Amino acid sequence: MSADLAVSTTHVVIAPMLVALVTAVATLATRRHDRLQRALSLLGVGAYAVGVAVLADRVLSGGTLTYQLSAWPAPFGISLVADALAAFMLSLAALVTVALLVFSVVYVDEQGQRVSYHPLFHFMLLGVSGSFLTGDVFNLFVWFEVMLMPSYVFVAFYSGPRHTAAALQYTVLNLFGSALMLVSIGGLYATTGTLNMADIARRLAAPAEFGIDPAPVLGLSTILLVVFALKAGIVPFHFWVPPAYRAAPAPVSAFLAGVTKKVGIYAIVRLYFTVFAAGAVEGGLGLPALSGESFLAFFGPVLFAMALASMLVGGVGAVSRDALDDVFAYSSISQVGFIVLPLAVVATVSDPALRTLGVVAALVYSLNHAVAKSLLFLVSGTVYDATGTIEFERLGGLTTRFPVLSGSFFVGSLALVGIPPLSGFFGKLLVLDTGGRALAAGTPGAGLALAGALAGAIFTIAYLSRTWSQGFWGEVTPLVEHGSQSSVLVGVVAALALVVVAVGIGFDPVYSFAESAARAALDTDAYVDAVDPGVVARE
Amino acid sequence: MTLDRKPTVIARTVTRLVVPMILVTAIALLLQGHNLPGGGFIAGVLTVTAFALVYIIYGLDYLETELLDRTPAVRYETESGIVREYGRVFASGLAVAAGSGVAAMVLGYPFLTQAVAFLEHLPVYGELEVASALVFDLGVYAVVVGALLTILAEVGAE
Repeated sequence: MSADLAVSTTHVVIAPMLVALVTAVATLATRRHDRLQRALSLLGVGAYAVGVAVLADRVLSGGTLTYQLSAWPAPFGISLVADALAAFMLSLAALVTVALLVFSVVYVDEQGQRVSYHPLFHFMLLGVSGSFLTGDVFNLFVWFEVMLMPSYVFVAFYSGPRHTAAALQYTVLNLFGSALMLVSIGGLYATTGTLNMADIARRLAAPAEFGIDPAPVLGLSTILLVVFALKAGIVPFHFWVPPAYRAAPAPVSAFLAGVTKKVGIYAIVRLYFTVFAAGAVEGGLGLPALSGESFLAFFGPVLFAMALASMLVGGVGAVSRDALDDVFAYSSISQVGFIVLPLAVVATVSDPALRTLGVVAALVYSLNHAVAKSLLFLVSGTVYDATGTIEFERLGGLTTRFPVLSGSFFVGSLALVGIPPLSGFFGKLLVLDTGGRALAAGTPGAGLALAGALAGAIFTIAYLSRTWSQGFWGEVTPLVEHGSQSSVLVGVVAALALVVVAVGIGFDPVYSFAESAARAALDTDAYVDAVDPGVVARE
Repeated sequence: MTLDRKPTVIARTVTRLVVPMILVTAIALLLQGHNLPGGGFIAGVLTVTAFALVYIIYGLDYLETELLDRTPAVRYETESGIVREYGRVFASGLAVAAGSGVAAMVLGYPFLTQAVAFLEHLPVYGELEVASALVFDLGVYAVVVGALLTILAEVGAE
């Protein structure tokens, strides 16, 4: 009886995924009943948020929870692992998704909602939740696919020539990425003999015992990094971002920028800082300018270069765009650079406190970007809904006609710039703090990281103030004059703006949540112990 | 589909012979899928090839006019006629597959846990293996059939 009880309490691990799956099926089955479908969809996302909250609470108070699907023991069955990191990412997704779905119900036209909008949205959420929770690399691939397939449809949602072109590029690129991912996962299985992440970490820590050569694992994990960088839109794999974000409906662009990108970031943290961090190539990497034997000694500089390039390419790109969505799309390339930069800096340091700080910085910045960028994309959607355009040429004087909307945009952009007391301030502060401490500890490249972050911050100020002055200030254009706003859309936008403020003011619990997430991410041993893949060998 | 060139008598006869065989093979694959090569996915794909053959040789309307005895719906309209039914097959398959997983949870086991029972001393048949995995496979089968036929019918119409 006690075994049964133990099982039933951990059902909460799978709750977010099941809720999303059941909602997707329910909304699919009620496609011909518009109101019922929308009610179910909203109910589903509410239940999702509750499920995530319960799970996060359980994880934070009781430690990592694991769940073996089909009751097959690890490493043979598929493990779900809900640790603080997964709980943090799920909370981020839930927070943003609730706002996005309420927005969608009003924003997306009747016909659009009838054509599978809601089931697809919930399938996308299911893929995201699965990616955060799974403890199996092949299963991670599956959830990536579940997440991507609806997004292909969403990019092509309006099916104009521009949307179709963007969708084609997006689909082909991601299929290529998926193929790469599958090949490298196959290679990982061939070299390490397992797909379970905890088992990979366990085997990499003692390669001789399991007869593993770490060198090919390093190569294969590099290919995987390309895939994750592609999903996260990090330079040089960023070029699909602007057309896709421009083509998708505004709430979906917000989801892609706010949540889907974070799945790429999560995968980088989970795999490279939890799993592959256990690996080391004996006798050094044998590459010029790279010292150290650990895998992270190699990935640190690689991530560093990509992060710097992202901040600058995204920043330069955003300054010269002439429509809201384009600015925001380039801005997210640049902001992802800010997320990856602290990870890159701490990958090469050995001080555990500094490494934790770097991961905390990346997580807090992810949360800030998720909320603030979703807010900005929703502002863009609301502006389009009210005026029929998002191009600067035909916008102007939004502040006089739509003060609440403009105020929310203002809050969101200040959060991206990093003005206290908004959420972005702490994100930027932690990133700069990581750079500063690494500099004090004498980490090579830390000075460059600080300079890059400052340059990136200046670009952020430049493109957002340009957007403000061109779109929101100035003469009231005819389109703006005759536009009318939907109070629900503005309400959602204003609520997100309040969240940005609330996260900044009540930052303490957010920080401690992020800190336990970072500790969970860096504690490979605890992760392996929780999943316990060696159970069969011991018996 | 323009009908200026009809398929040959050979093609039509072969189709008539082959389609039942394909369907029987598909069902066999579905039933043995949980412990032998086969399963819901491949059985679904095979079933769809039978439908595809009928579509190619007899035209897109044949299924509705001859087999279901009704007038086919107007094309180019979203989700008309039989496509709507394919969609229903897809949705119910998904519900069955997900439900088979949830059923295990109701009984107190982890999601998707499967069980098997052997029925012995049956008249004529002897021993019969009843696996709960078959329900999941059935769901997968319906999803695959529904999705692929939707694509075939929609894209075929264009």
